[in-house]
Amino acid sequence: LEENAYLTAVVAGCFYMVAGVRLLRLGLRTRERPELMLSAYFAATGIFYLGINAPSIFRFDALPPQIETAIIWLYLIGVFPYLFFIRRVFRPRAAWASGMVAVCGIFLALGGAHLIVESPLVETLDNPWFIIMWLGYALPAMWMGWEAMLAHRSANKRARIGLCDPAVSNRYLLLGWFGCFQTLAVLVGLYWAYDKDVHQVTSSFADALLGGTEIAGVSTLWLAFFPPTWYRNWIANRAVITPTPMDG
Amino acid sequence: VATSLFDYAADQLERNTSLDRLAARGTLRIAMKNAGLDIQTLTTVQLRAVFEKLMPKELESRGISNAPVTCEAVMAAIARGAASAESARSTSSDEILKRLGES
Repeated sequence: LEENAYLTAVVAGCFYMVAGVRLLRLGLRTRERPELMLSAYFAATGIFYLGINAPSIFRFDALPPQIETAIIWLYLIGVFPYLFFIRRVFRPRAAWASGMVAVCGIFLALGGAHLIVESPLVETLDNPWFIIMWLGYALPAMWMGWEAMLAHRSANKRARIGLCDPAVSNRYLLLGWFGCFQTLAVLVGLYWAYDKDVHQVTSSFADALLGGTEIAGVSTLWLAFFPPTWYRNWIANRAVITPTPMDG
Repeated sequence: VATSLFDYAADQLERNTSLDRLAARGTLRIAMKNAGLDIQTLTTVQLRAVFEKLMPKELESRGISNAPVTCEAVMAAIARGAASAESARSTSSDEILKRLGES
């Protein structure tokens, strides 16, 4: 990674921590599980980003391999509540969604267990354990993007007849974009592995792309969870509500 | 259960219009889809919005005269008889997303 990519990862890590704490406070107040699930995922992601990248940006010694492995484990464990969140919000009654959670969980568990014998993991395309772990965190990202975009489509229709708050409809869209940026980021991870395989070095293009997706992802989360007044007003003003024919 | 609310509404639509059972259910289903609603989690509030804002146009396009009045009659019938068919689900995805944006 180049320094700019490390920096964006650290910025993203800080934001994930702040969002995680905010959702934790909300969850403790409402005593509802979805916000607690998402807060656990953001906190784990924040610790992962900061733990793995901070030594490079702040120029202190690399973390001992055991600590790095523990941080990766924490991240992998943190993906589970993310999966439960997606199922709870978008597919609460679908049996296949539980199957999807189970499949991703198996990939994550296998990848995590393999770290006991191979750490750090060799991130090349010919290492099946890398692919297994990659699927474990790539599939939830793709699932979030897909489901949130679908939900936004329905919510937008409901908003037009006054059955959904335009801000909520927009929040589905932002979560959808977040899932898409996450997907792009994990695809960059695969491109890295290809670079390492073929060229024995990772390209600056991949670094720039990763930095861009991280900043874009964090920006969408900022608008979703910390919407500034101008953004709230903009969403409210552009909302179109169908008039009732009987009124006319 | 929520599905019976859809059934009840479709029955009322059939009773108040010249549409047969299949056409009434199909018309209501199309309106639900255009409203972005799920039949499984349908509530009377959502149904009311569909009959107020979308159904008059759907019925007019199927040659039903005086569609707004017909919709009012169907809504009145639903209000009288559908309370027991209301969806029991209280926490929807929209409510979760709304909470997530609260500070």
